[in-house]
Amino acid sequence: MSIRPEDVLHVARLAELDVAEADLPKLVEQMGRIVGFVEQLNEVPAGEQAPPFLAGPGRTPLRPDKVAPVPLVRPPSAIAPEFTHGFFSVPRLGAMEGE
Amino acid sequence: MSGVAAIADGVVSGAAPAAAVARETGERLRRAADLNATLHWSQELLDRDAARLDQLPPAERTRLPLAGVPVALKDNIVTTDQPTTCGSRILEGYVSPYDATVVGRLKGAGAIIASKTNLDEFAMGSSTEHSAWGRVKHPLDPARVPGGSSGGSAALVAAGVVPAALGSETGGSVRQPASFCGVVGVKPSYGRVSRFGLVAFGSSLDQVGVFGRTVDDAARVLAVISGHDPNDATSAAEPPVTLEPARRDLRGLTFGIPGEYVPADLDPGVKAGIDRAVQAIQDLGGTVRQVSLPHTRFAVPCYYIVAPAEAAANLARYDGVRYGQRRVGPEGDVRALYRATRGQGFGPEVRRRILIGTYVLSSGYYDAYYRKAQQVRALLADDFRKVFAAGVDLLLTPTTPTPAFKAGEKTEDPVAMYLADIFTCSLNLAALPAMSLPVGRSGGLPIGAQLVAPMFADARMLSVAAVLETVLDPTREVR
Repeated sequence: MSIRPEDVLHVARLAELDVAEADLPKLVEQMGRIVGFVEQLNEVPAGEQAPPFLAGPGRTPLRPDKVAPVPLVRPPSAIAPEFTHGFFSVPRLGAMEGE
Repeated sequence: MSGVAAIADGVVSGAAPAAAVARETGERLRRAADLNATLHWSQELLDRDAARLDQLPPAERTRLPLAGVPVALKDNIVTTDQPTTCGSRILEGYVSPYDATVVGRLKGAGAIIASKTNLDEFAMGSSTEHSAWGRVKHPLDPARVPGGSSGGSAALVAAGVVPAALGSETGGSVRQPASFCGVVGVKPSYGRVSRFGLVAFGSSLDQVGVFGRTVDDAARVLAVISGHDPNDATSAAEPPVTLEPARRDLRGLTFGIPGEYVPADLDPGVKAGIDRAVQAIQDLGGTVRQVSLPHTRFAVPCYYIVAPAEAAANLARYDGVRYGQRRVGPEGDVRALYRATRGQGFGPEVRRRILIGTYVLSSGYYDAYYRKAQQVRALLADDFRKVFAAGVDLLLTPTTPTPAFKAGEKTEDPVAMYLADIFTCSLNLAALPAMSLPVGRSGGLPIGAQLVAPMFADARMLSVAAVLETVLDPTREVR
Protein backbone atom coordinates (compact mmCIF):
# COMPACT_ATOMS: atom_id res chain seq x y z
CA MET A 1 0.00 0.00 0.00
CA SER A 2 1.50 3.35 -1.00
CA ILE A 3 1.61 6.21 1.48
CA ARG A 4 0.39 9.62 0.28
CA PRO A 5 1.17 13.04 1.79
CA GLU A 6 -2.41 13.29 3.06
CA ASP A 7 -1.98 9.95 4.89
CA VAL A 8 1.06 11.29 6.74
CA LEU A 9 -0.73 14.54 7.63
CA HIS A 10 -3.81 12.60 8.82
CA VAL A 11 -1.73 10.33 11.04
CA ALA A 12 0.28 13.32 12.32
CA ARG A 13 -3.00 14.96 13.39
CA LEU A 14 -4.03 11.77 15.23
CA ALA A 15 -0.62 11.64 16.92
CA GLU A 16 -0.71 15.36 17.83
CA LEU A 17 2.56 16.04 16.01
CA ASP A 18 3.45 19.13 13.98
CA VAL A 19 5.05 18.07 10.68
CA ALA A 20 6.97 20.81 8.88
CA GLU A 21 6.09 21.11 5.18
CA ALA A 22 9.75 20.75 4.26
CA ASP A 23 9.90 17.36 6.05
CA LEU A 24 6.82 15.95 4.35
CA PRO A 25 8.30 14.49 1.10
CA LYS A 26 11.02 12.61 3.00
CA LEU A 27 8.51 11.30 5.56
CA VAL A 28 6.18 10.11 2.81
CA GLU A 29 9.04 8.25 1.13
CA GLN A 30 10.39 6.71 4.37
CA MET A 31 6.98 5.71 5.73
CA GLY A 32 6.12 4.18 2.36
CA ARG A 33 9.28 2.09 2.53
CA ILE A 34 8.60 0.99 6.12
CA VAL A 35 4.95 0.08 5.44
CA GLY A 36 5.99 -1.82 2.29
CA PHE A 37 8.57 -3.70 4.36
CA VAL A 38 6.20 -4.73 7.18
CA GLU A 39 3.56 -5.88 4.68
CA GLN A 40 5.68 -9.03 4.23
CA LEU A 41 3.61 -10.37 7.11
CA ASN A 42 0.72 -10.90 4.69
CA GLU A 43 2.67 -13.92 3.37
CA VAL A 44 2.19 -15.71 6.73
CA PRO A 45 -0.92 -17.88 6.61
CA ALA A 46 -2.20 -16.94 10.07
CA GLY A 47 -5.99 -17.25 9.95
CA GLU A 48 -8.52 -14.93 11.50
CA GLN A 49 -8.79 -17.17 14.54
CA ALA A 50 -5.03 -17.55 15.16
CA PRO A 51 -4.31 -16.55 18.76
CA PRO A 52 -2.24 -13.41 19.30
CA PHE A 53 0.87 -13.46 21.51
CA LEU A 54 0.48 -12.35 25.11
CA ALA A 55 3.64 -11.20 26.86
CA GLY A 56 4.10 -11.38 30.58
CA PRO A 57 3.65 -13.86 33.38
CA GLY A 58 0.77 -16.30 32.99
CA ARG A 59 -0.52 -15.26 36.38
CA THR A 60 -0.12 -11.64 37.45
CA PRO A 61 0.96 -11.50 41.09
CA LEU A 62 -1.44 -9.19 42.91
CA ARG A 63 -0.50 -6.68 45.59
CA PRO A 64 -2.34 -6.53 48.91
CA ASP A 65 -5.20 -3.99 49.01
CA LYS A 66 -3.26 -1.48 51.06
CA VAL A 67 -2.67 2.20 50.36
CA ALA A 68 1.03 2.91 50.73
CA PRO A 69 2.70 6.33 50.53
CA VAL A 70 4.14 7.19 47.12
CA PRO A 71 7.93 6.99 47.50
CA LEU A 72 8.76 10.46 46.15
CA VAL A 73 11.90 12.22 47.30
CA ARG A 74 10.44 15.61 46.35
CA PRO A 75 6.87 16.92 46.78
CA PRO A 76 4.67 17.59 43.71
CA SER A 77 5.28 21.34 44.09
CA ALA A 78 8.96 20.73 43.32
CA ILE A 79 8.18 18.63 40.25
CA ALA A 80 5.53 20.76 38.53
CA PRO A 81 6.48 23.65 36.27
CA GLU A 82 3.74 25.65 38.04
CA PHE A 83 1.94 24.68 41.25
CA THR A 84 -0.61 26.96 42.96
CA HIS A 85 -2.65 26.33 46.13
CA GLY A 86 -2.16 22.58 45.86
CA PHE A 87 -3.01 22.38 42.15
CA PHE A 88 -0.93 21.83 39.02
CA SER A 89 -1.28 24.96 36.84
CA VAL A 90 -1.36 24.84 33.05
CA PRO A 91 -1.51 27.73 30.57
CA ARG A 92 -4.92 29.25 29.84
CA LEU A 93 -5.96 27.65 26.58
CA GLY A 94 -8.68 29.30 24.47
CA ALA A 95 -9.92 26.14 22.78
CA MET A 96 -10.90 24.54 26.08
CA GLU A 97 -13.07 27.39 27.31
CA GLY A 98 -16.01 26.73 25.01
CA GLU A 99 -16.02 22.97 25.69
CA MET B 1 40.45 -1.73 35.81
CA SER B 2 39.44 -4.57 38.17
CA GLY B 3 36.29 -6.63 37.80
CA VAL B 4 33.15 -6.42 39.95
CA ALA B 5 34.21 -9.08 42.49
CA ALA B 6 37.71 -7.67 42.98
CA ILE B 7 36.45 -4.10 43.47
CA ALA B 8 33.87 -5.23 46.02
CA ASP B 9 36.49 -7.35 47.84
CA GLY B 10 38.86 -4.37 48.05
CA VAL B 11 36.15 -2.06 49.39
CA VAL B 12 34.85 -4.61 51.91
CA SER B 13 38.34 -5.37 53.26
CA GLY B 14 39.38 -1.73 53.21
CA ALA B 15 42.42 -2.54 51.03
CA ALA B 16 41.06 -0.30 48.23
CA PRO B 17 38.51 2.09 49.78
CA ALA B 18 35.45 3.28 47.86
CA ALA B 19 36.85 6.82 47.91
CA ALA B 20 39.76 5.67 45.75
CA VAL B 21 37.43 3.79 43.41
CA ALA B 22 35.29 6.94 43.04
CA ARG B 23 38.32 9.10 42.28
CA GLU B 24 39.65 6.67 39.67
CA THR B 25 36.21 6.31 38.10
CA GLY B 26 35.98 10.10 37.77
CA GLU B 27 39.41 10.21 36.12
CA ARG B 28 38.40 7.52 33.64
CA LEU B 29 35.12 9.32 32.85
CA ARG B 30 37.08 12.51 32.14
CA ARG B 31 39.56 10.69 29.90
CA ALA B 32 36.71 9.03 27.97
CA ALA B 33 34.82 12.29 27.35
CA ASP B 34 35.57 12.16 23.59
CA LEU B 35 33.37 9.05 23.25
CA ASN B 36 30.32 11.20 24.14
CA ALA B 37 29.05 8.16 26.02
CA THR B 38 28.13 10.01 29.22
CA LEU B 39 25.28 12.52 29.58
CA HIS B 40 25.42 13.23 33.33
CA TRP B 41 27.93 12.55 36.08
CA SER B 42 29.50 14.41 38.96
CA GLN B 43 32.62 13.80 41.00
CA GLU B 44 30.77 15.25 43.99
CA LEU B 45 28.07 12.52 43.83
CA LEU B 46 30.67 9.79 43.32
CA ASP B 47 32.65 11.03 46.34
CA ARG B 48 29.51 11.39 48.48
CA ASP B 49 28.34 7.82 47.81
CA ALA B 50 31.86 6.44 48.30
CA ALA B 51 32.26 8.25 51.62
CA ARG B 52 28.99 6.71 52.90
CA LEU B 53 30.35 3.26 52.11
CA ASP B 54 33.74 3.84 53.67
CA GLN B 55 32.09 5.11 56.86
CA LEU B 56 30.02 1.92 57.31
CA PRO B 57 31.19 -0.56 59.93
CA PRO B 58 33.21 -3.33 58.19
CA ALA B 59 30.61 -5.95 59.18
CA GLU B 60 27.90 -4.03 57.28
CA ARG B 61 30.10 -3.60 54.18
CA THR B 62 30.62 -7.36 54.12
CA ARG B 63 26.91 -7.79 53.39
CA LEU B 64 27.09 -5.62 50.24
CA PRO B 65 27.77 -7.77 47.14
CA LEU B 66 28.54 -4.71 44.98
CA ALA B 67 30.34 -2.62 47.61
CA GLY B 68 31.90 0.36 45.83
CA VAL B 69 31.36 -1.06 42.33
CA PRO B 70 30.82 1.79 39.85
CA VAL B 71 27.85 1.01 37.58
CA ALA B 72 26.72 3.30 34.73
CA LEU B 73 23.00 3.60 33.86
CA LYS B 74 21.38 4.21 30.51
CA ASP B 75 19.67 7.58 30.69
CA ASN B 76 16.17 6.09 30.40
CA ILE B 77 16.39 4.61 33.91
CA VAL B 78 15.12 7.18 36.38
CA THR B 79 17.26 8.54 39.22
CA THR B 80 16.55 11.15 41.87
CA ASP B 81 19.96 12.75 42.04
CA GLN B 82 20.76 13.02 38.33
CA PRO B 83 18.58 14.04 35.36
CA THR B 84 16.88 11.52 33.06
CA THR B 85 16.57 12.80 29.50
CA CYS B 86 16.16 9.63 27.40
CA GLY B 87 18.48 11.38 24.92
CA SER B 88 15.62 13.72 24.04
CA ARG B 89 15.19 17.51 24.02
CA ILE B 90 11.64 16.98 25.26
CA LEU B 91 12.94 15.77 28.65
CA GLU B 92 15.81 18.24 28.95
CA GLY B 93 16.37 18.98 32.65
CA TYR B 94 13.85 16.38 33.90
CA VAL B 95 14.74 14.91 37.31
CA SER B 96 12.60 12.04 38.57
CA PRO B 97 11.04 12.23 42.03
CA TYR B 98 11.75 8.51 42.60
CA ASP B 99 14.48 5.98 41.82
CA ALA B 100 13.84 3.01 39.52
CA THR B 101 13.64 -0.31 41.37
CA VAL B 102 16.91 -1.42 39.73
CA VAL B 103 18.62 1.73 40.99
CA GLY B 104 17.35 1.14 44.52
CA ARG B 105 18.60 -2.45 44.39
CA LEU B 106 22.02 -1.40 43.07
CA LYS B 107 22.39 1.23 45.81
CA GLY B 108 21.16 -1.26 48.42
CA ALA B 109 23.89 -3.67 47.30
CA GLY B 110 26.55 -0.97 47.73
CA ALA B 111 27.03 -0.01 44.07
CA ILE B 112 28.00 3.55 43.16
CA ILE B 113 26.03 5.07 40.27
CA ALA B 114 28.90 6.22 38.05
CA SER B 115 27.01 8.13 35.37
CA LYS B 116 23.96 8.30 33.11
CA THR B 117 24.82 7.18 29.60
CA ASN B 118 23.95 8.41 26.12
CA LEU B 119 21.40 6.51 24.02
CA ASP B 120 19.28 6.73 20.91
CA GLU B 121 16.36 9.02 21.72
CA PHE B 122 13.84 7.07 23.83
CA ALA B 123 15.90 3.95 23.02
CA MET B 124 14.80 4.03 19.36
CA GLY B 125 17.77 3.16 17.19
CA SER B 126 20.59 0.72 16.57
CA SER B 127 23.60 3.04 16.41
CA THR B 128 23.28 5.73 19.13
CA GLU B 129 23.29 8.32 16.35
CA HIS B 130 19.71 9.38 17.17
CA SER B 131 20.52 11.15 20.44
CA ALA B 132 19.67 14.82 20.83
CA TRP B 133 23.08 15.18 22.49
CA GLY B 134 25.13 13.81 19.58
CA ARG B 135 26.35 10.39 18.55
CA VAL B 136 28.46 8.02 20.66
CA LYS B 137 31.79 6.94 19.14
CA HIS B 138 32.99 3.34 19.00
CA PRO B 139 35.87 2.93 21.49
CA LEU B 140 38.07 1.10 18.94
CA ASP B 141 37.28 3.24 15.87
CA PRO B 142 35.72 6.69 16.37
CA ALA B 143 34.43 6.70 12.78
CA ARG B 144 32.14 3.77 13.63
CA VAL B 145 29.05 3.42 15.77
CA PRO B 146 28.99 1.45 19.05
CA GLY B 147 25.57 0.02 18.20
CA GLY B 148 22.42 1.02 19.98
CA SER B 149 20.31 2.01 21.55
CA SER B 150 22.36 1.46 24.74
CA GLY B 151 25.53 2.58 22.93
CA GLY B 152 26.78 4.81 25.76
CA SER B 153 26.67 2.01 28.33
CA ALA B 154 28.38 -0.44 25.95
CA ALA B 155 31.12 2.06 25.04
CA LEU B 156 31.90 2.88 28.70
CA VAL B 157 32.27 -0.80 29.59
CA ALA B 158 34.35 -1.53 26.47
CA ALA B 159 36.62 1.46 27.18
CA GLY B 160 37.26 0.16 30.71
CA VAL B 161 35.61 3.13 32.43
CA VAL B 162 33.22 0.94 34.47
CA PRO B 163 33.17 -2.85 34.92
CA ALA B 164 29.40 -3.04 34.38
CA ALA B 165 26.48 -0.91 33.20
CA LEU B 166 22.74 -1.17 32.75
CA GLY B 167 21.02 -0.76 29.42
CA SER B 168 17.55 -1.55 28.18
CA GLU B 169 16.31 -3.89 25.48
CA THR B 170 13.28 -3.60 23.23
CA GLY B 171 14.69 -5.24 20.09
CA GLY B 172 18.34 -5.96 20.89
CA SER B 173 19.54 -2.68 22.39
CA VAL B 174 21.90 -4.40 24.86
CA ARG B 175 23.06 -7.43 22.84
CA GLN B 176 23.70 -5.57 19.57
CA PRO B 177 25.95 -2.83 21.09
CA ALA B 178 27.63 -5.47 23.29
CA SER B 179 28.51 -7.38 20.12
CA PHE B 180 29.75 -4.26 18.31
CA CYS B 181 31.90 -3.18 21.29
CA GLY B 182 33.25 -6.60 22.31
CA VAL B 183 31.67 -6.87 25.77
CA VAL B 184 29.11 -9.18 27.41
CA GLY B 185 25.47 -8.07 27.10
CA VAL B 186 22.56 -9.88 28.76
CA LYS B 187 18.83 -9.57 28.08
CA PRO B 188 17.05 -11.45 30.85
CA SER B 189 13.73 -13.26 30.44
CA TYR B 190 10.76 -10.90 30.12
CA GLY B 191 9.54 -10.25 33.66
CA ARG B 192 12.78 -11.22 35.38
CA VAL B 193 13.93 -7.66 36.12
CA SER B 194 11.61 -4.89 37.32
CA ARG B 195 10.79 -2.13 34.84
CA PHE B 196 9.50 0.22 37.53
CA GLY B 197 11.35 3.42 36.63
CA LEU B 198 12.44 2.30 33.16
CA VAL B 199 10.95 4.85 30.76
CA ALA B 200 8.50 2.86 28.63
CA PHE B 201 9.03 2.32 24.89
CA GLY B 202 7.39 -0.99 23.86
CA SER B 203 5.75 -2.43 26.96
CA SER B 204 5.35 -6.02 25.75
CA LEU B 205 9.06 -6.06 24.76
CA ASP B 206 11.06 -3.83 27.14
CA GLN B 207 13.54 -5.31 29.61
CA VAL B 208 16.43 -3.89 31.63
CA GLY B 209 19.68 -5.58 30.57
CA VAL B 210 23.27 -5.70 31.83
CA PHE B 211 26.69 -5.09 30.26
CA GLY B 212 29.87 -6.51 31.78
CA ARG B 213 33.54 -6.78 30.88
CA THR B 214 33.14 -10.48 31.70
CA VAL B 215 30.25 -12.90 32.22
CA ASP B 216 30.97 -12.86 35.95
CA ASP B 217 30.72 -9.05 36.10
CA ALA B 218 27.36 -9.06 34.30
CA ALA B 219 26.02 -12.01 36.32
CA ARG B 220 26.86 -10.39 39.67
CA VAL B 221 24.93 -7.26 38.71
CA LEU B 222 22.00 -9.27 37.31
CA ALA B 223 21.81 -11.28 40.55
CA VAL B 224 21.26 -8.01 42.43
CA ILE B 225 18.71 -6.32 40.15
CA SER B 226 16.55 -9.37 39.27
CA GLY B 227 13.63 -10.79 41.22
CA HIS B 228 9.97 -9.95 41.69
CA ASP B 229 8.87 -6.34 42.22
CA PRO B 230 5.27 -5.62 43.27
CA ASN B 231 5.58 -2.17 41.67
CA ASP B 232 5.74 -3.76 38.18
CA ALA B 233 2.67 -5.74 37.10
CA THR B 234 4.73 -7.53 34.42
CA SER B 235 7.32 -8.66 36.96
CA ALA B 236 7.30 -12.45 37.23
CA ALA B 237 7.07 -14.24 40.58
CA GLU B 238 10.55 -15.68 40.02
CA PRO B 239 13.55 -15.53 42.36
CA PRO B 240 16.65 -13.47 41.50
CA VAL B 241 19.06 -15.02 38.98
CA THR B 242 21.50 -16.89 41.20
CA LEU B 243 25.04 -17.64 40.11
CA GLU B 244 25.47 -21.34 39.45
CA PRO B 245 28.64 -23.17 40.53
CA ALA B 246 31.26 -22.87 37.80
CA ARG B 247 31.02 -25.54 35.09
CA ARG B 248 34.16 -27.28 33.91
CA ASP B 249 32.80 -28.28 30.51
CA LEU B 250 29.64 -28.49 28.39
CA ARG B 251 29.13 -32.26 28.45
CA GLY B 252 25.49 -33.30 28.43
CA LEU B 253 24.30 -30.08 26.78
CA THR B 254 22.85 -29.82 23.26
CA PHE B 255 23.23 -26.61 21.29
CA GLY B 256 20.96 -25.79 18.34
CA ILE B 257 22.26 -23.73 15.41
CA PRO B 258 19.27 -22.31 13.50
CA GLY B 259 20.02 -22.35 9.77
CA GLU B 260 17.95 -19.18 9.29
CA TYR B 261 20.50 -17.24 11.39
CA VAL B 262 23.49 -18.32 9.29
CA PRO B 263 22.45 -17.35 5.73
CA ALA B 264 24.79 -17.85 2.78
CA ASP B 265 25.46 -14.11 2.51
CA LEU B 266 26.39 -13.66 6.20
CA ASP B 267 29.43 -11.43 6.73
CA PRO B 268 32.50 -13.74 6.53
CA GLY B 269 33.96 -12.37 9.78
CA VAL B 270 30.71 -13.01 11.64
CA LYS B 271 30.52 -16.51 10.14
CA ALA B 272 34.10 -17.21 11.25
CA GLY B 273 33.20 -16.02 14.76
CA ILE B 274 30.29 -18.46 14.95
CA ASP B 275 32.48 -21.26 13.61
CA ARG B 276 34.96 -20.55 16.39
CA ALA B 277 32.19 -20.68 19.01
CA VAL B 278 30.88 -23.98 17.58
CA GLN B 279 34.38 -25.45 17.73
CA ALA B 280 34.73 -24.29 21.35
CA ILE B 281 31.43 -25.93 22.30
CA GLN B 282 32.52 -29.21 20.72
CA ASP B 283 35.97 -29.03 22.33
CA LEU B 284 34.24 -28.63 25.70
CA GLY B 285 32.13 -31.74 25.13
CA GLY B 286 28.84 -30.11 24.03
CA THR B 287 26.71 -31.50 21.22
CA VAL B 288 25.84 -29.26 18.25
CA ARG B 289 22.74 -29.84 16.15
CA GLN B 290 21.23 -27.96 13.17
CA VAL B 291 17.70 -26.72 13.87
CA SER B 292 15.10 -24.61 12.08
CA LEU B 293 13.09 -21.57 13.21
CA PRO B 294 10.96 -21.21 10.08
CA HIS B 295 9.28 -17.85 10.84
CA THR B 296 12.58 -16.03 11.47
CA ARG B 297 12.41 -13.82 8.38
CA PHE B 298 9.18 -12.28 9.66
CA ALA B 299 10.70 -11.17 12.97
CA VAL B 300 11.89 -7.71 11.88
CA PRO B 301 8.66 -6.73 10.05
CA CYS B 302 6.66 -8.06 13.01
CA TYR B 303 8.82 -6.09 15.44
CA TYR B 304 8.44 -2.88 13.40
CA ILE B 305 4.68 -3.06 13.80
CA VAL B 306 4.50 -4.07 17.47
CA ALA B 307 7.23 -1.74 18.79
CA PRO B 308 6.11 1.50 17.07
CA ALA B 309 2.46 0.81 17.95
CA GLU B 310 3.32 0.46 21.62
CA ALA B 311 5.71 3.43 21.43
CA ALA B 312 3.00 5.65 19.93
CA ALA B 313 0.79 4.86 22.93
CA ASN B 314 3.56 5.15 25.55
CA LEU B 315 4.90 8.44 24.22
CA ALA B 316 1.47 10.12 24.27
CA ARG B 317 2.29 11.34 27.80
CA TYR B 318 4.94 13.77 26.46
CA ASP B 319 2.49 16.52 25.65
CA GLY B 320 3.78 19.54 27.55
CA VAL B 321 1.14 19.08 30.26
CA ARG B 322 1.97 15.76 31.90
CA TYR B 323 5.62 15.51 30.76
CA GLY B 324 7.89 17.38 28.41
CA GLN B 325 9.27 20.86 27.88
CA ARG B 326 6.12 22.87 27.11
CA ARG B 327 5.90 24.88 23.90
CA VAL B 328 2.76 26.89 23.26
CA GLY B 329 1.71 26.88 19.59
CA PRO B 330 0.77 30.03 17.66
CA GLU B 331 -3.01 29.38 17.85
CA GLY B 332 -2.91 29.25 21.65
CA ASP B 333 -5.24 26.26 21.95
CA VAL B 334 -4.58 22.95 23.63
CA ARG B 335 -4.02 21.01 20.39
CA ALA B 336 -1.47 23.56 19.24
CA LEU B 337 0.31 23.14 22.58
CA TYR B 338 0.44 19.36 22.15
CA ARG B 339 1.55 19.56 18.52
CA ALA B 340 4.21 22.21 19.10
CA THR B 341 5.59 20.46 22.21
CA ARG B 342 5.79 17.09 20.47
CA GLY B 343 6.74 18.34 17.00
CA GLN B 344 9.66 20.39 18.34
CA GLY B 345 10.63 18.17 21.28
CA PHE B 346 10.99 14.80 19.52
CA GLY B 347 13.77 14.04 17.03
CA PRO B 348 13.18 12.61 13.54
CA GLU B 349 13.43 8.88 14.38
CA VAL B 350 11.00 9.14 17.30
CA ARG B 351 8.57 11.20 15.19
CA ARG B 352 8.81 8.60 12.40
CA ARG B 353 8.07 5.72 14.78
CA ILE B 354 5.15 7.54 16.41
CA LEU B 355 3.69 8.15 12.94
CA ILE B 356 4.14 4.50 11.91
CA GLY B 357 2.70 3.30 15.22
CA THR B 358 -0.30 5.59 14.94
CA TYR B 359 -0.80 4.47 11.32
CA VAL B 360 -0.86 0.74 12.14
CA LEU B 361 -3.25 1.31 15.04
CA SER B 362 -5.57 3.65 13.13
CA SER B 363 -9.13 2.81 12.20
CA GLY B 364 -9.30 0.19 9.46
CA TYR B 365 -5.66 -0.88 9.78
CA TYR B 366 -5.54 -2.39 13.29
CA ASP B 367 -6.47 -5.93 12.19
CA ALA B 368 -4.31 -5.82 9.07
CA TYR B 369 -1.18 -4.73 10.93
CA TYR B 370 -1.16 -4.92 14.75
CA ARG B 371 -3.41 -7.96 15.19
CA LYS B 372 -1.63 -9.75 12.34
CA ALA B 373 1.77 -8.95 13.89
CA GLN B 374 0.69 -10.34 17.26
CA GLN B 375 -0.44 -13.55 15.52
CA VAL B 376 2.90 -13.87 13.71
CA ARG B 377 4.61 -13.19 17.03
CA ALA B 378 2.83 -16.21 18.50
CA LEU B 379 4.16 -18.34 15.60
CA LEU B 380 7.70 -17.02 16.15
CA ALA B 381 7.50 -17.87 19.87
CA ASP B 382 6.16 -21.32 18.99
CA ASP B 383 9.21 -21.97 16.76
CA PHE B 384 11.45 -21.56 19.83
CA ARG B 385 9.15 -23.60 22.07
CA LYS B 386 9.26 -26.55 19.62
CA VAL B 387 13.05 -26.48 19.33
CA PHE B 388 13.55 -26.47 23.11
CA ALA B 389 10.89 -29.18 23.53
CA ALA B 390 12.85 -31.34 21.06
CA GLY B 391 15.81 -31.58 23.42
CA VAL B 392 17.86 -28.47 22.62
CA ASP B 393 19.23 -26.82 25.76
CA LEU B 394 20.51 -23.59 24.23
CA LEU B 395 20.64 -21.93 20.82
CA LEU B 396 23.77 -20.36 19.34
CA THR B 397 23.51 -17.67 16.65
CA PRO B 398 25.40 -14.58 15.52
CA THR B 399 24.33 -11.49 17.51
CA THR B 400 24.54 -9.16 14.52
CA PRO B 401 24.77 -9.66 10.74
CA THR B 402 27.92 -7.47 10.49
CA PRO B 403 30.56 -5.94 12.77
CA ALA B 404 30.15 -2.26 13.77
CA PHE B 405 29.26 -0.11 10.77
CA LYS B 406 30.39 3.43 9.96
CA ALA B 407 28.56 6.44 11.37
CA GLY B 408 26.10 7.87 8.86
CA GLU B 409 26.01 4.66 6.82
CA LYS B 410 22.37 3.82 7.62
CA THR B 411 20.82 7.02 8.99
CA GLU B 412 18.95 7.87 5.76
CA ASP B 413 17.52 4.38 5.27
CA PRO B 414 15.40 3.34 8.26
CA VAL B 415 14.78 -0.19 6.93
CA ALA B 416 18.54 -0.82 6.55
CA MET B 417 19.01 0.37 10.15
CA TYR B 418 16.16 -1.87 11.36
CA LEU B 419 17.85 -4.93 9.80
CA ALA B 420 20.77 -4.46 12.23
CA ASP B 421 18.38 -6.09 14.77
CA ILE B 422 17.59 -9.08 12.57
CA PHE B 423 19.11 -11.70 14.92
CA THR B 424 18.09 -10.06 18.20
CA CYS B 425 14.52 -8.75 17.99
CA SER B 426 12.97 -12.24 17.67
CA LEU B 427 13.99 -12.94 21.28
CA ASN B 428 12.25 -9.81 22.53
CA LEU B 429 9.18 -10.89 20.58
CA ALA B 430 9.38 -14.38 22.14
CA ALA B 431 10.23 -12.93 25.60
CA LEU B 432 13.20 -15.32 26.01
CA PRO B 433 16.55 -14.74 27.75
CA ALA B 434 19.50 -14.16 25.42
CA MET B 435 23.00 -12.73 25.62
CA SER B 436 25.93 -11.70 23.46
CA LEU B 437 29.39 -13.07 24.21
CA PRO B 438 32.50 -11.68 22.46
CA VAL B 439 34.18 -14.47 20.48
CA GLY B 440 36.97 -12.66 18.61
CA ARG B 441 37.63 -9.88 16.12
CA SER B 442 37.39 -9.50 12.36
CA GLY B 443 39.49 -6.74 10.82
CA GLY B 444 40.06 -5.44 14.34
CA LEU B 445 36.32 -5.15 15.09
CA PRO B 446 34.61 -7.29 17.75
CA ILE B 447 32.28 -10.18 16.82
CA GLY B 448 29.62 -11.47 19.20
CA ALA B 449 27.88 -14.83 19.44
CA GLN B 450 24.37 -14.97 20.84
CA LEU B 451 23.21 -17.62 23.31
CA VAL B 452 19.46 -18.14 23.75
CA ALA B 453 17.86 -20.13 26.58
CA PRO B 454 14.33 -21.29 27.40
CA MET B 455 12.13 -19.00 29.52
CA PHE B 456 13.67 -18.29 32.94
CA ALA B 457 16.76 -20.43 32.23
CA ASP B 458 18.88 -17.27 32.56
CA ALA B 459 21.28 -18.91 35.04
CA ARG B 460 21.96 -21.87 32.71
CA MET B 461 22.77 -19.44 29.88
CA LEU B 462 25.21 -17.47 32.06
CA SER B 463 26.98 -20.58 33.34
CA VAL B 464 27.49 -21.86 29.79
CA ALA B 465 28.78 -18.46 28.66
CA ALA B 466 31.23 -18.44 31.58
CA VAL B 467 32.77 -21.73 30.39
CA LEU B 468 32.95 -20.60 26.77
CA GLU B 469 34.60 -17.35 27.87
CA THR B 470 37.52 -19.31 29.31
CA VAL B 471 38.49 -20.68 25.89
CA LEU B 472 37.52 -17.80 23.55
CA ASP B 473 40.02 -14.93 23.35
CA PRO B 474 37.86 -11.89 22.45
CA THR B 475 40.83 -9.95 21.10
CA ARG B 476 42.06 -12.65 18.67
CA GLU B 477 41.27 -12.37 14.96
CA VAL B 478 38.77 -15.03 13.86
CA ARG B 479 40.22 -15.37 10.34
